[in-house]
Amino acid sequence: MRGTPPPPGPRILGASFRLAAQTFVADPQWLIPSIVAPVIFALAAYEMYRGSGPVLVLYAILGAGMMSMWGQTLYGSGWAIGQDRFLGTLEPVLGAPARYLWVVAGRVLWNTLIGLAGGALVFLVIAATYHAPLPLRDPLLFVGLFAFVIATLATVGLLFSALFVLTRYGGFIQNIGEFAFYVATGCMFPVVLLPFWTTPLSLLFPPTWALDALRYVGVPGYRGLSWGLLPDLVGALVLSVAYAAAAALLFERVVRHVLAQGTADEY
Amino acid sequence: MSLPVILTRDLTRVYQSRKGFFFQDAVRTEALRGVNLEVSSGEVYGLLGPNGAGKTTLTKILATLLLPTSGTARVLGLDVSTESRAIRSRIGLVLGGERGLYNRVSGRENLRYFADLYGVPVARRARRIDEVLELVGMTSAADRRVEEYSRGMKQRIHLARGLLHEPELLFLDEPTIGLDPKSAREIRKLIRTLASQGVTIFLTTHYMFEAEELCHRISVLTRGRIVAEDTVDGLRRLVGGDRTIEVEGYGFDEKELSLLRALPGVSRIVEEDFGPRERLTLRVRTPETTEGDIRASLPLQRDLRIRERTTTLEDIYLDLVEEEAT
Ligand SMILES: Nc1ncnc2c1ncn2[C@@H]1O[C@H](COP(=O)(O)OP(=O)(O)O)[C@@H](O)[C@H]1O
Ligand SMILES: [Mg+2]
Repeated sequence: MRGTPPPPGPRILGASFRLAAQTFVADPQWLIPSIVAPVIFALAAYEMYRGSGPVLVLYAILGAGMMSMWGQTLYGSGWAIGQDRFLGTLEPVLGAPARYLWVVAGRVLWNTLIGLAGGALVFLVIAATYHAPLPLRDPLLFVGLFAFVIATLATVGLLFSALFVLTRYGGFIQNIGEFAFYVATGCMFPVVLLPFWTTPLSLLFPPTWALDALRYVGVPGYRGLSWGLLPDLVGALVLSVAYAAAAALLFERVVRHVLAQGTADEY
Repeated sequence: MSLPVILTRDLTRVYQSRKGFFFQDAVRTEALRGVNLEVSSGEVYGLLGPNGAGKTTLTKILATLLLPTSGTARVLGLDVSTESRAIRSRIGLVLGGERGLYNRVSGRENLRYFADLYGVPVARRARRIDEVLELVGMTSAADRRVEEYSRGMKQRIHLARGLLHEPELLFLDEPTIGLDPKSAREIRKLIRTLASQGVTIFLTTHYMFEAEELCHRISVLTRGRIVAEDTVDGLRRLVGGDRTIEVEGYGFDEKELSLLRALPGVSRIVEEDFGPRERLTLRVRTPETTEGDIRASLPLQRDLRIRERTTTLEDIYLDLVEEEAT
């Protein structure tokens, strides 16, 4: 055997996912932002809204969970790239015949899954601490939609990652992005309380749609964007596919740019 | 069949970088200034040059990690700018160094990750990883985390990674730099083994002895230009009947130096300081000039030590590099 044909995308994704998991396990400090922080957020939110009725409580907890998950996704996708620059592995990875998009996708997927685990933990801790079963109509559908929200978050993370390779100031974008997202997707506030111009903006984020769908299922009597569950799902799906496609295109260009500039070895 | 494995035509590379934060000055570095070279299949080709000569730049362009600014480069008959992915599956690249590995996981896991990125067949993966670990002598340390490895062990994993997919062409950028002499020797031995298996090797180094030991053909790169290219024997012929005479004393003045330069056949004098002592290395092209003639030219020198030694390729290399610099 001499040389090898380029590997298929899913294999690269799998390898990258595996390495991300091993790296995570090898470094327990990660547990703080991704698992411990969401639980503390949620407990605080619960205490704050406790007297305001079950709907608002769920809303707040969902917000806390989502906020942490978004942080995890964004932080993780920045790190997905930053890590390679930091370790000096960007060059050997780009030197392989694998498409970099798949490498990043594997890490982003791992990070979003950790976000999901954080969210699930929030739920369990709240339920166990307060012996207060949350008013969920359809737990199974809720969990399914929850995973869907994660997937839409992952596509946003992927697109952000593409932007991170382009710049060595990934950390800067990361924080700005995090803030913008909290506001734009209305995790913490009902959409109607936001300044009017942020609503159209937030519609550009796939998770806004997916979250809206999630709230239909999770929050009794929720009206939200008032388009109904199905349009929400379709909107989220279409936007997510568009984000993933844009990320794929951008990655090709960005890698080309890095090779032209000769900055793959910088950090 | 006799198609060159590497072929470059007027290859240049300019780096545009910025210095400063608020007031950015554009800095332009011409790292390669018109490189033409040709490497045939099965060859061990050595690119020799001092720091900053452009060796890494050239290696990265050939390994598709950097785009040329102008000119062309073909590797295995494929264009480095437009057919990079096809090239990547058939070449191995070892940039080496302290960085470039995932520190939190083991050497074996690093190799597994890259085996997947290179598309090594899953059925062969575990066995191939064992093979390359064995080849670089890392079998016993394979399951320890990379962060516990020494410099030499990391270098071995870098090498193992470059070999995973059995490339037909291997790029090695200063493979022994920073290693202790014993590890460096083992790496050189491994390179000879690979060469004997028919792998074409493109190797950079700044040690002439390393190039001499390993390479069939050597080119000397300084300041982005190839100033000499020949077989080891050809370079030796360049040495010709040249004699090298070292003269040591307590400092030499301009007058003494010009007297020595005036001696028949003296073509070059290199000066080096050793504390209070100074050593002149004379390149002498004729047999007439004797130790006595040199002593006679330096009547005021006391405790003069003169010795003739064989002219080495290292001498020739230093000549070439210094000629280019002046
Ligand atoms: N990414 C870069 N940006 C700007 N200048 C660079 C970069 N990489 C290398 N150079 C410059 O290009 C020249 C050649 O460098 P290099 O190829 O690393 O030489 P060598 O490997 O022979 O030491 C040097 O002057 C170096 O400073
Ligand atoms: Mg170098």
